[in-house]
Amino acid sequence: MENTGPLEFKDDQLVGLAKSGDRKAFEMLVERYKQKAYQIAFHHIRDREEAKDISQEAFLRAFTQLKRFDLRSSFYTWFYRILVNLCIDYQRRSRRFIWQPLEEKENQEGGNPMTSENPTSPDQHLSAEEMSRRVAVTLKELPPNQRKAFILRNHEGLSIREIAEVMRSAEGTIKVHLHRAVMALRRDLAEFE
Amino acid sequence: MAERIHFPSQSCKEYEQDLVLYYYGELGEGELHRTEAHLQACDSCRQTLESLRSLLPLTVKEDHPPQSFWDNYSRELRGKLDQVEVKVSWWDRIVSLIRSWPVPVAATAIVILLALTLTLNRTLRRPEQAPPVNEEIFEILRIADDVEFYKNLDLLDSMDMLEVPGAFSNGSESA
Repeated sequence: MENTGPLEFKDDQLVGLAKSGDRKAFEMLVERYKQKAYQIAFHHIRDREEAKDISQEAFLRAFTQLKRFDLRSSFYTWFYRILVNLCIDYQRRSRRFIWQPLEEKENQEGGNPMTSENPTSPDQHLSAEEMSRRVAVTLKELPPNQRKAFILRNHEGLSIREIAEVMRSAEGTIKVHLHRAVMALRRDLAEFE
Repeated sequence: MAERIHFPSQSCKEYEQDLVLYYYGELGEGELHRTEAHLQACDSCRQTLESLRSLLPLTVKEDHPPQSFWDNYSRELRGKLDQVEVKVSWWDRIVSLIRSWPVPVAATAIVILLALTLTLNRTLRRPEQAPPVNEEIFEILRIADDVEFYKNLDLLDSMDMLEVPGAFSNGSESA
């Protein structure tokens, strides 16, 4: 899972350099993880500007707390923990947290395609829009730990072991969260199967 | 065959979680063999697995912002890092200064502490221990007054002797 950049520095090496005051090393970590960080925030928040702010805030916290990071876990696990907790905190405190279907946002923003599908007929478009809305509602209604586990596995591709590290839970607990989240989605999206 | 549940494709309940983990490739070797053997024998669990394969990818919605967004993202973040770095560096400078000069800093602190303690102690205790200067002066003055008093008494005594009739004549008369 650990990425290496064009200069082939590993995360640990960059962290070591950044800890000794090398700002460029930290910026390389930012460049390496900014898109993933943004996507995680976006999957939780579904607002482009807010997702940008939250993911940037996670990098700032990582920067200020880097000296306390003891390298017992990998950088991305440690960083994802900061990021995911910020997303959950944001959702808890934000009154503006509204899960808006992506297609609605596209229409508001001038039809810029933001989804992976590209429905051709009006029926298909309606179906995709409805499905997106239902997914958003179901995810919103899930308990935070189930939502977190599902997004990290299904959207971000983290392994169960990695999610357990990020969420500081047992792997068995993460499996239960994931299973329940998937079952809730299947139940709510049965008509789309 | 295990108990069936009411979910859409009626998978076997005891395999429900394993099917989810199978889909995500998260089963251990033993569970993997057991689940694969079960899938060969169970139509409904195969259907459930197929529905997971068709449904779950559709729940992922990526946002694909334009390149300008990412350029702006990095520029903004560098600006924020600059601000944070200034704050952090001031604090670090103070801390590193203290860390790099532990002995002189500790010695200076001890000297200052001792000086303060002595000064405060002296200031607080002075009224109680100060020598009673005024009392000494008053005592001396009192003694001086007494001397004058006795001198006056002697003088008066002498005058009395002069005034007593026959004080000297008795002797002369008798003489």
